[in-house]
Amino acid sequence: MRKRHLFKAVLAVASLIATTVTGVSHANAASGTLQTVLDRGVLIVGTGSGNPPWHFIDKSGKLVGMDIDVAGMIAKGLFGDASKVQFVQQASDARIPNLVTDKIDITCQFMTVHAVRAQQVAFTIPYYREGVGLIIKKGSKYKNYADLLKAGNKAKIAILQNVQSNDYVHAALPKAKVLQYPESNLAIAAVDSGRADAAAYDQSSISWLVAQSPNKYVDSGYGWMPQSYSCALKQGDQVWLNFVNQVLHEAMYGVEFDAYKASFKKWFGVTLPPPHIGFPG
Amino acid sequence: MSTGFSNELWASRFILLDGIGTCIFVSFLAIVFGTIVGIVVGLPLTYGNFIFRFLARAYTDFIRGIPVLVLILTFYFVLSVLGLNLTAMQAGIASLSIFSSAHVAEMLRGGLQNVQKGQIEAAKAVGLSFFQTFLYVSLPQALRQILPTWINTAVETTKGSTLVSIIGVVEITLVMQQIIGRNFLSMEFYALAGLIYFIICFSIERFGKFIEKKVAIK
Repeated sequence: MRKRHLFKAVLAVASLIATTVTGVSHANAASGTLQTVLDRGVLIVGTGSGNPPWHFIDKSGKLVGMDIDVAGMIAKGLFGDASKVQFVQQASDARIPNLVTDKIDITCQFMTVHAVRAQQVAFTIPYYREGVGLIIKKGSKYKNYADLLKAGNKAKIAILQNVQSNDYVHAALPKAKVLQYPESNLAIAAVDSGRADAAAYDQSSISWLVAQSPNKYVDSGYGWMPQSYSCALKQGDQVWLNFVNQVLHEAMYGVEFDAYKASFKKWFGVTLPPPHIGFPG
Repeated sequence: MSTGFSNELWASRFILLDGIGTCIFVSFLAIVFGTIVGIVVGLPLTYGNFIFRFLARAYTDFIRGIPVLVLILTFYFVLSVLGLNLTAMQAGIASLSIFSSAHVAEMLRGGLQNVQKGQIEAAKAVGLSFFQTFLYVSLPQALRQILPTWINTAVETTKGSTLVSIIGVVEITLVMQQIIGRNFLSMEFYALAGLIYFIICFSIERFGKFIEKKVAIK
């Protein structure tokens, strides 16, 4: 938390200077980011490197994940080549500062859309809906969400320690017993050892774990507390925003659907049905 | 999902070595630049007239009063607003250099001022110029005296290099976070990070002790 305050303080100073030294930070807006990126021949994307399946270093040392694939889709739209991306590694706290100070063209880093954030940056259309899910060990006495609900106060749910952890779990399982752990991997370990019947965890992480170890874990099939993940850009460049929106929309519902579907299958283990053909919507 | 520690360690050996290399690279340059800038600031701090002394004093006090993390964030974010767009690596090296320079300047002043007045007067009496006095009388004694604290600053700077992970320089800490993000072996890999830092810092200290012995007046 302290770190975040520091970021805010530094950013406040930065933007103060930006308003006094006008012209510097608006140089890009005048010519347009889309043209700048096309002239440069490479897209500069801010993202993280420690959160599978979104952005992480695989065993061969390569940066991979769903966010990386989304960046590739935008690069393909720009240059016809998904590899023309230069990634700038950033902590989650640096997502907005790096955009505001023109270090990157776009951020794709499992960024939750909040109205407050939308006052500082421009969000694209969402490319994933995150939520909280329940992961169960395969062969456990509770097979799915309905079983856990029926078990009432006998069900033990592991979750990452947090002020609202109890509320999170009780929103889905009102009577369940909540076991809090200081790290999310320990919550998963509690499921492994049978100490907990299920763990409440990010839906995307559950999908990833189930896809990695289909013989070990099951997804309860219920998700709640929705939130949208979008890429974000610097405010004030509608042409650039429209372009990225179009690329993302056509990846999910149009000509690039196959690439999006392949990525989705790879990182979440789920085969998406093709969008409804006929009247769009 | 998570296989054994040794398997994961073997799989991560290349990025780990890269991270160690980056840590040493950043720390080394920061210490070298910091020492150069520190000497440039330390001399007016000791011998300068009122204006130069005031400027050098303002610089060291200002820098020493700012946490390294804030210096790093400032170099990365604030300077780019002013039109100087440093990469994460450049910003990291620059901020750590500035951090160590203030300490070097201060310890150089301490070392030079500790040289006994009688010696300076004696040097004057035998006809040495100011520059000769500095080079042959003050500096050799000051350097011997500041060596232990200088080594200490080098160790502090190396440990401070963990903080550049925050702006995305892939050094040891960030590599560990990447590895742990994939395999969840947080205890093991953070312990390993601690061990690696200890080895690096301990080596610097031993090296310092070695030099101290070499240059000691017997």
